[in-house]
Amino acid sequence: MIEIAASFYDGKTSRRQEVRISFHPSGLLRITGLESDLVHSLLEVRISPRIGNTPRSIYLPGDAKCETLDNDAIDAVLEFHGRSGWHRSLHKLESRLGWALAALVITVVGAWGLVQFGVPALAKQVAFALPESVDAALGQDGLKVLDRLVFSPSDLPEDVQGQFLTIFDGMTQELTDARDMRLEFRKSDLVGPNAFALPSGVIVVTDELVLLAEHEKELIAVLAHEIGHVMNRHTLRRLLQNSAAVLVIANITGDVTSLSALSAGMPTLLLETKYSRAFETEADEFAMEYMRAHDIPLEYFARILLRMEEATGHGSSTHNYLASHPATSDRVKMFKGHK
Amino acid sequence: MENQKAPMTVTVPFEFTGRAGEYFKIWIVNILLTFLTLGIYSAWAKVRTRRYFYGNTFLQDSSFEYLADPLKILKGRLIVFGFFVLYAIATTIAVAAGALFGLFFLLIFPWVFVRALAFNARNSSYRNIRFDFNASYGRAAGVFIGGGVLAALTLGLGYPYFVYLRSKFVVGKSGYGSTPFGFSARAANFYGVYLVAFVGIVLAIGLAWVLLAAGAVPEELMTGGWLAVILFYGSLGFLMVYLQTSITNLVWSNAHLGDHRLENTLRTTQMLWIHVSNTVAIVLSFGLLIPWATIRKVRYRLDNLKLLAAGELDDFIAGEQETVAAAGGEIADFFDFDLGI
Repeated sequence: MIEIAASFYDGKTSRRQEVRISFHPSGLLRITGLESDLVHSLLEVRISPRIGNTPRSIYLPGDAKCETLDNDAIDAVLEFHGRSGWHRSLHKLESRLGWALAALVITVVGAWGLVQFGVPALAKQVAFALPESVDAALGQDGLKVLDRLVFSPSDLPEDVQGQFLTIFDGMTQELTDARDMRLEFRKSDLVGPNAFALPSGVIVVTDELVLLAEHEKELIAVLAHEIGHVMNRHTLRRLLQNSAAVLVIANITGDVTSLSALSAGMPTLLLETKYSRAFETEADEFAMEYMRAHDIPLEYFARILLRMEEATGHGSSTHNYLASHPATSDRVKMFKGHK
Repeated sequence: MENQKAPMTVTVPFEFTGRAGEYFKIWIVNILLTFLTLGIYSAWAKVRTRRYFYGNTFLQDSSFEYLADPLKILKGRLIVFGFFVLYAIATTIAVAAGALFGLFFLLIFPWVFVRALAFNARNSSYRNIRFDFNASYGRAAGVFIGGGVLAALTLGLGYPYFVYLRSKFVVGKSGYGSTPFGFSARAANFYGVYLVAFVGIVLAIGLAWVLLAAGAVPEELMTGGWLAVILFYGSLGFLMVYLQTSITNLVWSNAHLGDHRLENTLRTTQMLWIHVSNTVAIVLSFGLLIPWATIRKVRYRLDNLKLLAAGELDDFIAGEQETVAAAGGEIADFFDFDLGI
């Protein structure tokens, strides 16, 4: 027989009465200390699950309940009668540091794996299953906004533009599953020599980049890289990946209050740039394949990359975890290494 | 003049017995199981966390208890999640749908607020008597929409009055068993808090201006420099913590239950220190110190809360209550509303 001290509350008033509860092996429990003793079967009471060392509630039939701090005795009674339930295992899990640390490792590794491999793979599947009109809808106003903010009309002579438009059309036409793509020229002091792929299939090349190029083939390499972005639907995938990653992180830190909103936001920022680097590498690979197929020495891409970095001065020259592009030296190495 | 009938007042402190190490293990297991079950366990995690904090809060040797059913919370979360998905789809198809949804959320906000408070109160008990929150949606809409419009029309001059109305509504419609809470603060008290904040801002800007004009601070340092940014956000943070702390003290210290009163004595500098050091600790530990930070914050808040009891706490009588669905509370949770309590 196990006897414990407890407080009794009848559920009608807030009055507390100190009682003793004795648990009999037969499965009966007797509460003494009240005006008259109460006897119940263990089967008709409900006992709250153990959480840390917080008081345990024994809900009696009707509205009354007892509250006790003697968690171990309650656990022993429940175990004796085979009524421990899954909450007992939960408490065991929660009360051993070893288990807790194992939980920590599994969570971190699992989350890392999901974010590193699961999310990108899933996003790729979903993106390619969606119609191309989705990409177009994403970037509808993209160029208009950029025109207002950073671009001014191109100063390049018509014939230079025409020359590249012809080359570009040739490039897109030979792609079997080509999408609607369009080449645009813009001038921008702010952006400098650069090229962009918008999800709608518009590729923008700045005047500054055209002037920087020393050979037509250098620009072809850059165009191939940008086409790689469009063909691989990177904007849509980035959007999908980022929202999925936010869900994963919110799921994990969901137990947490607003206090940590700041720290929960940080990994998302790091991820965003990490994903972006993976896309750059994928576009680089697309460009590489194109150049190989057309007997264009890979050198050309490496050269213009280096010159772009020199011209902007702040290219992604270092291994910066926050960089959105892979380090230029790595990219150059990739193109020089595969001759 | 002495009032012979006034009962003897005894100061009863709230005691918090939660420990960071113990909570860390509960927290990490919650996270793991939530992760492994793709979020389904989060409802159970929420209940276990709440039960841990309630169960470790003692008043006169009796603890508080959180009684919500995880299944109800799960149901609420699924409903909210469904709404969120609808919202995401609708806004992708048409931008105007976002505005419609926004209007919809604005209109149901009073309902969400009332349901969230009711769910929370009715699932909180002390000495086997449940708390209560009972207010009509009309009243809530009056306070939120009316008060909000008033604050906007008066260019913010009416804002402290809005905060006063809201606090009075929340406290005044709450109850313990069948005993309603009373609220004795007046609008002037709220204006006092905001006035101090306003004078503080004016003085700070004036001081910065005088220092600059007198050339005591090199201009390069102030304009566009790190110092200016740190000073700006630092004082903004201080201001926000001051307002939060003062309003919390004001509201809680003016809540009474029968002849019993509460007394809340938080201090702005302490709160600021806890916020800042907690954030630094969480960032530096990659989130591992979140349980420690939470325990620390709750402990400070409860260490500064006292009940000025007029006699025994034995005579409260249970009230009749209907049960509330969890959806309102989960909407509030999902959007991380600060319920201001």
